[in-house]
Amino acid sequence: MGTEEIIWNGVAAFLVLCIYTFLYKDTPLYKFAEHLVVGVSAGYFAVILYYNGFVPKLITPLKQGQWVYIIPAILGMMMWTRFSKKWSWLSRFSLAFYIGSGTGFAIPLYMQNYVLRQFSSSMLPMGFSSWALFCNILIIIGVLSALVYFFFSKEHTGIFGGTAKIGIWTLMIGFGAGFGLTVMGRISLLAERVVFLREYLLELKYYLYLLFKYGLPL
Amino acid sequence: MKKLCWKILLLPLFIYFIFFSYSLASETETSAEIISATQWFNPQRINVFIILIVFFAFVLYFIQKAKKGGSLFVRRIAGLDAIEDAVGRATEMGKPILYISGIEDMDNLQTVASMIILGNVAEMVAAYDVPLLVPVCLPFVVTVAEEAVKQGYAKAGRPEAYNRDNVRYLTSEQFAYAAGVNGIMLREKPAANFMFGSFYAESLLMAETGLSTGAIQVAGTANIHQLPFFVVACDFTLIGEELFAASAYLSREPKLLGSLKASDLAKFLIMVMLVLGVLLETFGITKFTSWFFVQ
Amino acid sequence: MNFYERMMNLDRRWIYLVIGLVVVITAIFPFDVPLYVTPEVRSIYDYIESLNPGDVLMIGVDYAPEVMAELHPMTYAISRQCFKKDVKLLLCCLHQNGPGMVEQVISQVSKEYNKINGVDYVYLGYKPYPGITILAMGQNFRIPFPEDYYGTPLDSLPMMRGLTNFDNVKAIINISGGSGTELWINFANGRYNAKLAIGVTGVMTSDYYPFLQSGQIFGLIGGMKGASEYEYLAEKDGYISRAKNQLSAYKTMPIQTTSHLVVILFIVLGNIGFFMSKKKKSRI
Repeated sequence: MGTEEIIWNGVAAFLVLCIYTFLYKDTPLYKFAEHLVVGVSAGYFAVILYYNGFVPKLITPLKQGQWVYIIPAILGMMMWTRFSKKWSWLSRFSLAFYIGSGTGFAIPLYMQNYVLRQFSSSMLPMGFSSWALFCNILIIIGVLSALVYFFFSKEHTGIFGGTAKIGIWTLMIGFGAGFGLTVMGRISLLAERVVFLREYLLELKYYLYLLFKYGLPL
Repeated sequence: MKKLCWKILLLPLFIYFIFFSYSLASETETSAEIISATQWFNPQRINVFIILIVFFAFVLYFIQKAKKGGSLFVRRIAGLDAIEDAVGRATEMGKPILYISGIEDMDNLQTVASMIILGNVAEMVAAYDVPLLVPVCLPFVVTVAEEAVKQGYAKAGRPEAYNRDNVRYLTSEQFAYAAGVNGIMLREKPAANFMFGSFYAESLLMAETGLSTGAIQVAGTANIHQLPFFVVACDFTLIGEELFAASAYLSREPKLLGSLKASDLAKFLIMVMLVLGVLLETFGITKFTSWFFVQ
Repeated sequence: MNFYERMMNLDRRWIYLVIGLVVVITAIFPFDVPLYVTPEVRSIYDYIESLNPGDVLMIGVDYAPEVMAELHPMTYAISRQCFKKDVKLLLCCLHQNGPGMVEQVISQVSKEYNKINGVDYVYLGYKPYPGITILAMGQNFRIPFPEDYYGTPLDSLPMMRGLTNFDNVKAIINISGGSGTELWINFANGRYNAKLAIGVTGVMTSDYYPFLQSGQIFGLIGGMKGASEYEYLAEKDGYISRAKNQLSAYKTMPIQTTSHLVVILFIVLGNIGFFMSKKKKSRI
């Protein structure tokens, strides 16, 4: 690692340790690191949005004489009227266009991908002659019982209530799997940072050894 | 209602048979060269179209029925009983109640549902003269929360008991908000904590702190990743759609009730068709399932 | 307060300390762990293995630095495998804090394999509103991305000749740490029937198994475990090298193993404490 990398990685290592002080309590170091990351990511996003969204999608087409882009520009500016009590009614046009077009794109596709595709792939053959067929039975029981649990037009009594109980057990098993994967995900982030700190310390040790031996920064 | 269900159940079967008889047509002669062009209607998505129309029809029908005052039964949600018990407990202990409405803005449906539940909690709380603390994450939600609490107190006939200072804006920063809420829990030691809305990583921080103070906790969110944390740290959890069902149950708002009943009917049809499809697949008949398959 | 009650009321900072120590000690004294490769990861690897030189694979990189620990290894491993096989890469980023992530991967990996921008790979860049961008790319990549990330018009890039939309790429691999995956499934696969596989964080993995089961995605790399499985396969076939320190996910598996064992131990102790306290209360 060169001098520049050592310095910047050192800053990164310092900020990692600042964040981890939260494990003890809400320290000023944690607050400093948190505010820094919030500010930097907001600033970075603003710049990226300007150069990748605003310039190529509005300024460049207008400079090229594509005046039709004035319409979305005006709709966008109308959104800012939400901050004015007198003119906030103008923002409803932009919101209506945005929500309407978004809903128009999304609803049929969500119905197709989240309902129909899942529904058709749950229609599985059952049986006991193979492990796959037995697993199909478990899937079908899980799907039906979870649907029964979220049925609000009938009290959960009798057989219906029993099926709903199987449904809640199915959901809890799913939550458990999600919980376990979440623990794995969080440990992964910790593990990677610890490995980064270890490797940085080894690089720093080597750098300082060379610095003191040869007296020159790399 | 039962007759309507049967009519609606037969409709897709009728359409299926139309499709099935169409597909039995014999081969035609080879046509001349054609050039493709963008179509206005994609016939390969006709199943999606029909299902959407049917679902929209359900929603509109039930909303109309709710507006006309028709009785629409919605079962009691277990967590809502716990809210009443918790309010009673807080009255006995003389401690406040804490209500957290999530960290999303009013454009999120969960926050809207949370505000409806807040209004009902305020109505319950007003009758018992228990302080209701509502720390809020976003400025716009503060105004809505103030209005919901004020309406709740007014409905209970105790408008003078409403304290505007109890609905307070903390901060829009996620973990700073969690830290602020934790501080309120540790200082005020509320007897009950209600957490309804959209939560992210701060959910476990707040739920654990509430658990450590010994408060009764009832939570509800549709964010699947946070449900395990609420389930382990809270006494009652409203899972996913139960949050919206609770808001429909408490408010009896026609649009909410109508949508809930329509989705229930859709679920019933899905269950029936799923059982039918599974039985047919088990006996090797795949035509029924293939109608639902999207090309 | 008896032992079980003390277990139940243990300050969480002790748990943080124990896990922290276990992670640090395992990081200093690592060991090899056996790895089982799941079918959903193998299906992505085998698919890329079946591609021919000159085929184009699209990678949608939609994550920010906060989840790069889990997702960066996947992106590196897939890119290295593709470049070694002379498969061309078309990359894009739909997360606002992600352009730098793609730039970091592609600039490093392209140097390793002497790949040329515009000939062997094209990096389209970032555009806001991922759903609309995916819908537009399904018609023509040039609609949302008239130029690449470096400002070169797409039509002047040799690789983009004949590459119009998703129909011209063999598959799309979306590596995402947020809601971008849903949009790729809905719009790219749902609307345009694009062949899609995904790589997601551990937290999100369980949400996407239904899509694997329904065939909407043909493969799923879940979290750091999935990334380590992919690296294991890639190392076996020589696409990545342990000597060059290219197994960034695989080397954290010992830490995962030991820390998970500690977490399981605490869960067991906590449950024992819970049931014993409950038993004691019922006796009283």
